[in-house]
Amino acid sequence: MFRTFGPNEVWYIVMAVQWTLLLSAVAFAGGAAGGIAIALARVSPIRPLRYFALAFIRVFQGTPLLMQLFLVFFGLNIFGVGINPWVAAAIALTLHASAYLGEIWRGCIEAVPSGQSEASWALGLGYRDRMSHIILPQAAKISVAPTVGFLVQLIKGTSLASIIGFVELTRAGQIINNATFQPLTVFSLVAALYFILCWPLSLWARHLEGRFAIATAR
Amino acid sequence: MKTCKTVLALAGAAALAVGFVAGPVAAQTPDEIQSRGTVNIGLLVDFPPFGILDEAGNPDGYDADVARLLADDMGVELNLVPVTGPNRIPYLVSNQVDILVASLGITPERAEQVDFSEPYAGIEIFVFGDAGLDVSGPEGLSGQNIAVARASTQDTAITEIAPADANIQRFDDDATAVQALLSGQTPLMGGSNVVISQIEAMAPDRFDTKFSLRQQSQAIAVRPGSDELLDYINDFLTRVKADGSINALHEEWVGGPLPEFVVSGD
Amino acid sequence: MNYQFNFAPVINNFDQLIYGALITIQLSVGAILIGTLIAIPCAAAKTAGIKPLAWLVNVYIEVIRNTPFLVQIFFIYFSLPALGIRFDPNTAALVALSVNVGAYATEIVRAGIESINRGQVEAGKALGLKGHQIFRYIILKPALRTIYPALTSQFIYLMLTSSVVSAISATDLAAAGNNIQSATFAAFEVYLVITAMYFVLSLGFSGLFSFIGRTAFRYPLAR
Repeated sequence: MFRTFGPNEVWYIVMAVQWTLLLSAVAFAGGAAGGIAIALARVSPIRPLRYFALAFIRVFQGTPLLMQLFLVFFGLNIFGVGINPWVAAAIALTLHASAYLGEIWRGCIEAVPSGQSEASWALGLGYRDRMSHIILPQAAKISVAPTVGFLVQLIKGTSLASIIGFVELTRAGQIINNATFQPLTVFSLVAALYFILCWPLSLWARHLEGRFAIATAR
Repeated sequence: MKTCKTVLALAGAAALAVGFVAGPVAAQTPDEIQSRGTVNIGLLVDFPPFGILDEAGNPDGYDADVARLLADDMGVELNLVPVTGPNRIPYLVSNQVDILVASLGITPERAEQVDFSEPYAGIEIFVFGDAGLDVSGPEGLSGQNIAVARASTQDTAITEIAPADANIQRFDDDATAVQALLSGQTPLMGGSNVVISQIEAMAPDRFDTKFSLRQQSQAIAVRPGSDELLDYINDFLTRVKADGSINALHEEWVGGPLPEFVVSGD
Repeated sequence: MNYQFNFAPVINNFDQLIYGALITIQLSVGAILIGTLIAIPCAAAKTAGIKPLAWLVNVYIEVIRNTPFLVQIFFIYFSLPALGIRFDPNTAALVALSVNVGAYATEIVRAGIESINRGQVEAGKALGLKGHQIFRYIILKPALRTIYPALTSQFIYLMLTSSVVSAISATDLAAAGNNIQSATFAAFEVYLVITAMYFVLSLGFSGLFSFIGRTAFRYPLAR
């Protein structure tokens, strides 16, 4: 009945990386769309919109990702949508990423010197032109490093989807561990694979930060 | 309005892409399942030898074979849906699967959530642990750490009988509880004969069986009120018990005949 | 939507949730203190550029920051006993959380130390301040003031991360919720209440931190 920890088992765990990557990509894409909306709402001239965005950020940054996953997972059921770990994980991580990216990008928008805004007012640019041609391109430059940093946090966050039964890297490790009873080997491999995914991104983020610091040094 | 429609269309496309619009429709009766042509059966994949993943990563094991037998009997395609211990009942109740063949032990608490068939498998639950430790009954658990899978039959049973100063450590599944025992974090664990025989194969002579907690029948489960489906399944079980086909599966996976208390259906 | 909400299991077992919340608070406060104690020497070693030591600290930081906490805690609880290092679940949780937050805090503290302009120290000397006064008023206090927001948001993130420790049978708030959930199947209601409790905890922590920040980092203007 037992399986030894052989090439098949290693391969099964390595192949699960694709699900971690796919879930991260979906959550990042969804979170980017949500994040830009939240960031714009947060700096919007319309007060209720600002409050809504602030509440959204506070709630998602003030509660554990694990609980967000559980609530979406079991909550979808209540709204008549069947529970499915893949859908639940994608939705929960998207909301989570929207809040964090929204807050990061708000900071970047506000970091653009106010003179830029004032100049575009003086030139008679409307909200849309001011944002899309003046403010956002400059904010985007500032935002790259912290965004990449958050991506690392998001990739690690997908490991929690294992707890609701989505088979990604961590869950694949658990399944193989259940059949082989070799926790040291299995979890070392799992940790090493996460490291391989995340470390280059961390280094890249730091490199970008360094370059930005040099560019803005006076 | 236009943006609204675009957003809806995008959301629809995204939903289709992850396949949940096309996902399961609740089927309550054998007729509904047969006219649809597919049955969705939930099973564990981390509970050897009942539910495992084969070398190719597909569900297999005793439960998978019983599910195949049932789908063949109904004359429909089988869609096996991997579930986990904690989420298997939510899966069934929320219509994600039609039937659970997921090593679900019959308990009164669970019977309030789902309807159970006649038993199709059975295990005996023991307290098991370090060979050097002298424990022969519930009072021996005093002051000890005992690992169990959260909300499992052994969790309920040990919680009932253990003295107040026993420390029951609850993990998410059997394998993690086994880890706690193997790594020496707890001297004792609650587990089934099946889990115990696996541990003994891994670490011969390190542990022994202390005392029996209870015999546990496992049953196929359906949503409450699915009486026709339940009748069909019970009839199916009677037939496969009589013709020996389910016994052959049990021999193949678990390594012995179906226990007497399962065959008689107590 | 014909779901019947049932909060009775949550209300009947609320004492368990309170107990779990206390453990969560203990774990978080303990890990914050120990993590800070880890971070200060590590940051000092990095800024001082003591080669083998700085290299070790870097390995520690990179490994912790680039692997998931769930994997780290499995490792500490299930793998360290093979080396003869054994903790009970709540201690293992405390160790894992401390080691985790220590790595993040090291980077934050290092940034704080590096933010101090050398000229400030020179100015302090010129004003005739003694060594310990320079360290306390010119390096430590301004550095702490600079990094305080980053440090405290890391601490709140740590408190939220601690919800994962039930995986090794620690008895925190999330574990209490899991136990009630699996005994009663009122999953959504249980997790809704627990999430709200975590939210209250994070509001509480952030209130406490800003109070500490206001009292500890005032400039000594009025004297």
